[in-house]
Amino acid sequence: MKDVVVIGGGPSGLAAAPEIGKKGYDVTILERNGELGGLLQQCIHEGFGTLLFDKSLSGPEFADIFINRVHDTGVKVELETYVKSVEKREDGFEMTAVTPKGVEIIKTRSLVYAIGCRERNRFEIKIGGTRPAGVLTAGTVQRLVNLYGVLPGKNPIIVGGGDVGLIVARHLYLEGVESILMVYPEEFFSGLPRNAQQCILDFDIPYRPRTTVKRILGDKKVEAVELVKVDENWDMIQGTEEIYRCDSVILSVGLVPYSEKVEELGAEIDCKTNGPVVDEFFETTVEGVFSVGNLVQIFDYVDDAVQTSFVAAQGVDKYLKGFSSKRDKPVKLKPGKNVGTVTPQVIAHDADDDIKIFFRPGIEKEGARIELTSGKEVLKHQKKRYVRPSTLEEMELPRDILSKKKEVMVDVR
Amino acid sequence: MSISRKVKKVLKKFPYDISFVVDEGIVLLEGEVNSHQEWVKIGLNIGDIKGVKGVVNEIRWKGMKEGKTRAERRENIASKNERKRLGKHEVVIIGGGIIGCSIARELSKFKVDVALVEKGPDVSLGQTRANNGMVHPGLAPSKGSLKRRLNVRGNEMYGELCEELDVPFKRVGSLILITSRTLKKYKRYLPLGLNTGFCKYILPWLVKKKADRNRLKGVEILRGDDIKKEVKGVTDDVISAVKIPSTGIVDPYELTIALYENAKKNGVDFYLDTEVVGFAKEDSMIRGVITDKGVLGAHHVVNAAGLYSDEIAELADTKEFTIHPRKGVELLFNKRIQDDVEHCLTELTLPSHPTSKGGGINPTVHGNIIWGPTAKEIESKKDTSVDKKDIDEIMERYSKVLPDFPRSEFIRYFAGVRAPSFTEDFIIRPAKEVQNLLHVAAIQSPGIASAPAIAEYSVEMLDKMGLKLERDESFDGSRRAMDRAAEMSDDELRSRIQEEQRWGNIVCTCEMVSEAEIIEAINRGAESFDAIKRRTRAGMGECQESYCLLRIADIMSKELDIPLKNVKKEWAESEFFDGTVRGEEG
Ligand SMILES: Cc1cc2nc3c(=O)[nH]c(=O)nc-3n(C[C@H](O)[C@H](O)[C@H](O)COP(=O)(O)OP(=O)(O)OC[C@H]3O[C@@H](n4cnc5c(N)ncnc54)[C@H](O)[C@@H]3O)c2cc1C
Ligand SMILES: Cc1cc2nc3c(=O)[nH]c(=O)nc-3n(C[C@H](O)[C@H](O)[C@H](O)COP(=O)(O)OP(=O)(O)OC[C@H]3O[C@@H](n4cnc5c(N)ncnc54)[C@H](O)[C@@H]3O)c2cc1C
Repeated sequence: MKDVVVIGGGPSGLAAAPEIGKKGYDVTILERNGELGGLLQQCIHEGFGTLLFDKSLSGPEFADIFINRVHDTGVKVELETYVKSVEKREDGFEMTAVTPKGVEIIKTRSLVYAIGCRERNRFEIKIGGTRPAGVLTAGTVQRLVNLYGVLPGKNPIIVGGGDVGLIVARHLYLEGVESILMVYPEEFFSGLPRNAQQCILDFDIPYRPRTTVKRILGDKKVEAVELVKVDENWDMIQGTEEIYRCDSVILSVGLVPYSEKVEELGAEIDCKTNGPVVDEFFETTVEGVFSVGNLVQIFDYVDDAVQTSFVAAQGVDKYLKGFSSKRDKPVKLKPGKNVGTVTPQVIAHDADDDIKIFFRPGIEKEGARIELTSGKEVLKHQKKRYVRPSTLEEMELPRDILSKKKEVMVDVR
Repeated sequence: MSISRKVKKVLKKFPYDISFVVDEGIVLLEGEVNSHQEWVKIGLNIGDIKGVKGVVNEIRWKGMKEGKTRAERRENIASKNERKRLGKHEVVIIGGGIIGCSIARELSKFKVDVALVEKGPDVSLGQTRANNGMVHPGLAPSKGSLKRRLNVRGNEMYGELCEELDVPFKRVGSLILITSRTLKKYKRYLPLGLNTGFCKYILPWLVKKKADRNRLKGVEILRGDDIKKEVKGVTDDVISAVKIPSTGIVDPYELTIALYENAKKNGVDFYLDTEVVGFAKEDSMIRGVITDKGVLGAHHVVNAAGLYSDEIAELADTKEFTIHPRKGVELLFNKRIQDDVEHCLTELTLPSHPTSKGGGINPTVHGNIIWGPTAKEIESKKDTSVDKKDIDEIMERYSKVLPDFPRSEFIRYFAGVRAPSFTEDFIIRPAKEVQNLLHVAAIQSPGIASAPAIAEYSVEMLDKMGLKLERDESFDGSRRAMDRAAEMSDDELRSRIQEEQRWGNIVCTCEMVSEAEIIEAINRGAESFDAIKRRTRAGMGECQESYCLLRIADIMSKELDIPLKNVKKEWAESEFFDGTVRGEEG
């Protein structure tokens, strides 16, 4: 019986495992791919680690730091291992994993899910029209270009103005596509201003805000798209349709946590984040099962995602030692006015340390006031110069303000 | 009253100058109307006349795209290939949908030399790929229609057929729901109390009566809590329901692929990627089928070309019917919500209308749920596009039946185009002007359900047309499905991996498909991504290819020994990628 199995060898799993291993536990990472690093391996641009290490690293460089820690702390790694199913047993969990060597049954006292997220596809954003070849997600394009030296097309259009889209746009431009256009429904790029400058503006790559793809045209291969203007609610404005010729459509329209597997185990899912409901130590509603990184919610920075791993490591330690600081009645944290998501969703323990919460604003606003409220009582407030839905915000939550509270709302005013 | 007089009477209702000719029950229409809708309406009205066996609707509508280009293209190709000899067979079947493949397999039970010609690179690329997969019980088609007879018989044959071919088929049963909306159109005439009483007692009784007449077994009327027990989360608007246990579900393309594999094993020659563009005729007989690859000599020809069956008839100089394409959009849901729907559900609305009837909520054999289809008359047979408003329409319609269903959890939408004629019945008969051509045309819904019976019936027709049929004792009707890692026990999978480690490399994580399965699909003839997808289910899960596309393309490139750039989605010229990064030209 192992102490801890970490499922997923991306950044958050790589960060969690050694942090737990350091405390003397028997820890194993299971990874479905043939190498560690997850999404970072295909992100050869720089910009990782600015918060955590104060320097700008490429994806693989950032991953290497953690891979070294994994090896230094004696964490075991099983690659090409696909976790087929997990079941709860009296004394822990039993999992079935498929590998090129066979089918293994693995037993463990606790579990950390670090399986990340997948890319949103065209169906999820209801792009109409035909379904020809040439519609690809940005992640696929990154792998295609980096690993195979092949381009998605000569005249791509990129949908989505987030960081992934920005980086892919520059990459394709530099690799020699003949034409390129970026469209996105926001008024401004939703990625970091720095990325917008360095990826699009510096190269004069054409872009159109408040625009989306209504339909894809072409029977066998993408031949064109029908663009349409959208208003501030992202509703299409009739009569603004325009045909744009292109041979590929690259979607960078958001990520969705891979919560299916945790749900199968019985964990409650938050329909706002699409990830499992977690407490301040990232324990899910199934005892002994933790969840970290982008599975919990989509983080803008890998640096923030791995922070969840460090906190979860403390939680796993507590769990395995068997001392419970759990309150009788947990406090619920909920998105209130003008807030999309909040994590963690519950505060379940009595402890000394403060809690860092993450929330995604539901609106764009200058001079916003963030409030933590319980009923009519404002427990804490804070000013922010500027908030928007595409930027995840964080805030310290002092434990002392929680006493006798059942539910705390996060509001943006 | 003669057909001519009836036609004249119908045409009087329309403000156009339309001329017509009636010949042995076939009505040829010519003229011009304002819109495509009017074109459909007139066609349907004429098709409705008793005794009319076919409507050739050559009326033009304003803004109509010149249909000539397709004919010209074919003529061009035909003239280049009419002297190239490709082969010679006793029977040549045109079309590799479920119908063509069913007939091919049925004929392979006899000592007959059969070939099937399909223009696509795989079988099952027409209507057969995009439908509900429902094996209807045979309740809906009207009395005396061929549809009804073949549907009832087809349904009966399904269990055995799918067992032989190792294809999943489930008799899940269907419920026809009678709700407070069923008689909405008659609200004016029915006070509320009467309406409810009618819906509770009389309507279900009428439906059951009809089912009994069609010899459907085990049909029950349900009311109140009994309905709620059968259908979790059903709307409170439901008043009564009729349950038909014989309704089934099948994966239509898997069945078609199985029929193809088995027919091939029993000696049928398949010419894929081969398009029929004309005929070489002598008097009223076809001597050769001209394709874009050369000519196939033939004694008998079967027209099972689906949407294009009218154009095949025209190529053989025997215009007898026109197909009016009708699009149906389907919405497919995540497997995660599978246990919410166990039966096929339809809400009855009266009066039923040919272009809005049908549609419902169906489970699939793989554990997904399908909502749809819509029904929209369209101008182009190729139009399988889906728009947001189609999706919204489906959502709105079926949410009324299951109000709490997690409707945002759909993972894909797609559309198929039905191939109805204006008489709305199947057309299975020898061609009027060509002695050795059998039409098996206008096979719209319930074409999947009827397919086994259509094959049987078509062979009877060929017999009558003089094809010599002698049983082939060496016929082997069994076929083995692809093995699937997802369906194996741990021990089974373990021993497979011992033999071949690629069973342990899972490339599609949503559906748990291994590399070994991709290779097996390629060995069974799949050359495109979608052909692999239909055989393995790779890419059919929640992420819709975003994880596995490149992984599978990479395996295809190695196994088929082609550059990654040449890996195709389906058709020629449907490559996924194009171009190389700077400095790696070529
Ligand atoms: C949205 C929708 C939902 C449906 N739901 C159901 C259902 O639930 N149950 C049911 O029983 N039925 C259903 N149907 C009907 C069913 O799908 C069809 O009846 C059935 O697939 C017809 O098969 P087919 O072989 O006649 O046609 P197709 O599958 O269209 O096959 C015709 C083939 O001929 C080929 N072809 C055409 N022209 C040429 C040429 N010149 N040369 C060579 N090849 C050619 C085409 O490429 C095609 O592969 C539905 C249909 C639709 C569209
Ligand atoms: C019973 C059933 C279960 C399914 N289950 C799943 C599932 O679990 N997961 C999943 O992802 N998908 C599922 N599908 C959908 C499937 O993956 C495809 O989306 C579907 O077969 C339509 O194909 P497509 O969208 O790839 O075709 P499209 O990309 O829409 O391409 C259609 C092509 O077909 C050709 N065509 C010609 N004639 C016709 C015609 N009459 N009708 C339709 N096409 C025509 C056109 O040339 C066009 O290029 C299911 C489908 C069925 C029928």
